[in-house]
Amino acid sequence: MIKNPSHPKKNQRKVKQCKFTRAGLEYIDYKDTETLQRFTNDQGKILPRRVTGTSARHQRQLTIAVKRARFLGLMPYVADNLR
Amino acid sequence: MASLLLGKVPGRLFSSLKTTKETHTEMSKNYYEFTYIINPVLEEDKFKETVDKVNKLIEDNGGEIEEVDEWGLRPFAYEMDSKGNGFYVNMYFTAPGEAIAEIERQLRIDDNVMRYLTLKYDAKMLRHRELQKKNEVPDIFAIEDEEDNEEDDD
Repeated sequence: MIKNPSHPKKNQRKVKQCKFTRAGLEYIDYKDTETLQRFTNDQGKILPRRVTGTSARHQRQLTIAVKRARFLGLMPYVADNLR
Repeated sequence: MASLLLGKVPGRLFSSLKTTKETHTEMSKNYYEFTYIINPVLEEDKFKETVDKVNKLIEDNGGEIEEVDEWGLRPFAYEMDSKGNGFYVNMYFTAPGEAIAEIERQLRIDDNVMRYLTLKYDAKMLRHRELQKKNEVPDIFAIEDEEDNEEDDD
């Protein structure tokens, strides 16, 4: 796909990039639940790196931040969505 | 024998070892962030009382409070001890490391405090805190998908 210049999806190829690295963030705050919520699904699960494109370093920090927020009741452990 | 061995250690190295040890004892005060949740089934003045008690507890253990931020009553994301909300207090202080054990022990005994979280700040977190004070924390969603329009030529 990359090598073929006439590939129809050539210009649609999206390069994933870590949002935290791009913003130059050094520490992910557990109090910032609005940001953390963007990296969890509607069940409250942390999204994998392959979905969000977060760098390994920031994914580790993110995990810790989410778990701290959960402990203090700022974020849910499980959120039951209606089926 | 020990003195002989010590004598063979180059003076410069030995003195540097000594100084690092000294600075370590001086630097034993750390920066902490502390968040706790007070039981919501209390009267209004009880919240104030608990906050004052915690502040006093930290100061008595050699801590210096920098900022106390009462978030007030907030709903929990899930039910905690069969309660739906709690009174949050978030604070920052510097204290010697030994003080933390005592503060946490006291709060574990205290029935009014439902949960607490202590974080010791490292260099990265301190830099983040400085940004926070200046209100300059970068917004990670500010640059929203601008590479969509980019063309890659390869």
